[in-house]
Amino acid sequence: MKTPLKAWRSSLVFRVTGTIVALSIILIWLLGSALYSRVSSGIFDEKLKLSILDAQSTARNTQIQLSFSKYRDKAALTLVFDDILALPPKTYENTAKEIVVFAFPKLDKKFKFDGTSNLLNPKSIPETFREATRKATTTQWERTDLLYLDGRTEPAIVVGHDLTISGVGKYEFYVLFSLSQQEKTMSLIFNYLLLAGLALTLLIGLTTYFAMRRLIAPIQDAARVAEELTKGNLDLRMDFHGEDEIASLGYSFNEMAVSLQQQISRLENLSKLQQRFVSDVSHELRTPLTTIRMASQVIFATRDSFEPTIARSAELLISQIERFESLLTDLLEVSRFDAQAAVMEIEETDLVLLIKETIDYVHPSQDRMIILQAPNSPVMADIDPRRIKRIIRNLISNAIDHREDKNIEVRIVETENEVSIGVRDYGSGFNYTDRKMLFERFWRADSSRARSTGGTGLGLSIALEDAKLHQGEIDAWGERGKGANFVLTIPKFAGGSIESKPISAQL
Amino acid sequence: MTSIMVVDDDQDLAEMLGIVLTGAGYEVDLVNRGDEVMPLFSTHTPDLVLLDVMLPGLNGVEVCKLIREVSMVPIVMLSAKGDKQDVVAGLEAGADDYMVKPFDPLELVARMKVRLRRSMNEVNTELFIGNLKIDQIEHSIIRDGQVIALTRLEFDLLVALAKEPGRVFSREALLSEVWGYRPATDTRLVNVHIQRLRSKIELNPEDPKIILTVRGVGYKAGVPGSSQ
Repeated sequence: MKTPLKAWRSSLVFRVTGTIVALSIILIWLLGSALYSRVSSGIFDEKLKLSILDAQSTARNTQIQLSFSKYRDKAALTLVFDDILALPPKTYENTAKEIVVFAFPKLDKKFKFDGTSNLLNPKSIPETFREATRKATTTQWERTDLLYLDGRTEPAIVVGHDLTISGVGKYEFYVLFSLSQQEKTMSLIFNYLLLAGLALTLLIGLTTYFAMRRLIAPIQDAARVAEELTKGNLDLRMDFHGEDEIASLGYSFNEMAVSLQQQISRLENLSKLQQRFVSDVSHELRTPLTTIRMASQVIFATRDSFEPTIARSAELLISQIERFESLLTDLLEVSRFDAQAAVMEIEETDLVLLIKETIDYVHPSQDRMIILQAPNSPVMADIDPRRIKRIIRNLISNAIDHREDKNIEVRIVETENEVSIGVRDYGSGFNYTDRKMLFERFWRADSSRARSTGGTGLGLSIALEDAKLHQGEIDAWGERGKGANFVLTIPKFAGGSIESKPISAQL
Repeated sequence: MTSIMVVDDDQDLAEMLGIVLTGAGYEVDLVNRGDEVMPLFSTHTPDLVLLDVMLPGLNGVEVCKLIREVSMVPIVMLSAKGDKQDVVAGLEAGADDYMVKPFDPLELVARMKVRLRRSMNEVNTELFIGNLKIDQIEHSIIRDGQVIALTRLEFDLLVALAKEPGRVFSREALLSEVWGYRPATDTRLVNVHIQRLRSKIELNPEDPKIILTVRGVGYKAGVPGSSQ
């Protein structure tokens, strides 16, 4: 499962869709709130207008009603007020309409009357509004809440007026109109707007997502096909339809793949041809070489009966045939590497034993020319013994050729995952700057130098190829007159890689 | 006189082989085509066959199989390629040894001698390995009274292991004991022959009891008398 951050970074579809959705949410929010506030203020204004008219007419009617009576005492007044407060008519919307009456503070005690309709809490009318109403000569209004004694509350508009009763005094007269209907309408509108907004956002999101997907699909396809092509699956092509830009991408892509495939198969054929040619040549060379070799050996065996010059010729003949033969063998090996036809035969092997056998083979006599430093326990590794043996043999043979009568040290050191085999001599050495060139085919330190040591000039290059097949490396160090140090390092387990080198070639 | 059949399509090489082998004291029959081997084989059975891989008529691997159907005679393949598949195909077809061209004639003769030598100078005439009895006089392998047919090389290989039951033989050691030479590189010869031998003598070649593999080193004989 991708984390959102990762998805954001890695997916263009995700990023574009996300951005567009975020932008549309902001836009829809702005539009929605503007619309909502216009509608709500429209509804409120309408209600206010009606409420004020209603309140004024109620006040007028009450004033008239009060004017028809004479009041001797509070009881008579209460009777009339109670009548007014008893059952205020509902508004045309069938929502509550309440009436509250307060006596002006300076009114004579005997006519004092405060009352509300329908258990309304007198505190529903804020004190500041009452003051404003008392001072004003015109109709006042304000938003407030209907607070009932039983705990109910409703949003409301309060319209204030005063009543004057001749011979008695002034009363505050308030008519309160519930806004619950408007409130309901607004919340309905709010819900619709929210729903519409969400639906719109979702729609925009989905549309963008699918449009992007559609747009990006061929690009993803191209990426996938390119990846497969890289892996060597050259037959894969892009799917495309129509004649648009994407189709033209697909067309060009496939053209490229075809041309790539043609090039590769042409090269492959060339390489196969080359490989077959080398193999055929070697086969054709080997049979006559065998005959020549046998013939020369027959001649060589009877050289005692020849004149000295002919006898020497027989010797030269036989040694050169041997050299020709090892050259042929090495060339064949090199051609196998070049054709990538070298096959590894991995086997778990004790490297200490392998080194001992190799030393015995290269240098069977018992003098201590080669000093082996190895642990007493076996050093096991998954290797192709034939190839590793060939590398070691080559390094030791080189050391023997250049040792100038000094001892050779062979070391083997292992770590958990790697093993190094070092071959150090104290002989003629080589220029340190040449350490990379040593591994080049037919490279000679000094081109004018006589090829006296008889190597094929391919040994180190083959050794390096063998090491590479093991995911290993060969490092070289050398200095003129001080000797040379070659170190082979390979991973101990098949498929592993070198992380550290138990022996460093550098001295 | 020991007779050698040389099968090679290269007439010059065959002639040269003839000269060298005659010089070494063998009687030599030269054959140039693969399909001429079997008719001649039935009339005049040689003591050893030198067989080239690439032959007109019938290739060396096929010829090798045909010879093995009728005879246990030692076969040494001569391969020009030396690539694994050719060598292994030859060995699996029943060849005892192979030489990669261009070979050293002296080494060829030395190896032929090893192949021709009969294991006569044995002191211990009856050997046991796993549940097998090896009768060195009769030159036979017996399991529960049943005789198992082995080529001479396979017999020698088994005897080498049986003679020293405790010893672990490295492939190189077996090469010098059984094949009589010491190549530094090629132990495939041993692997293939051990496999062939196992397929003949083991009850379950997947789980060998007679010839045991010692990981990283080589092979050793199973405990005598153990019956799987």
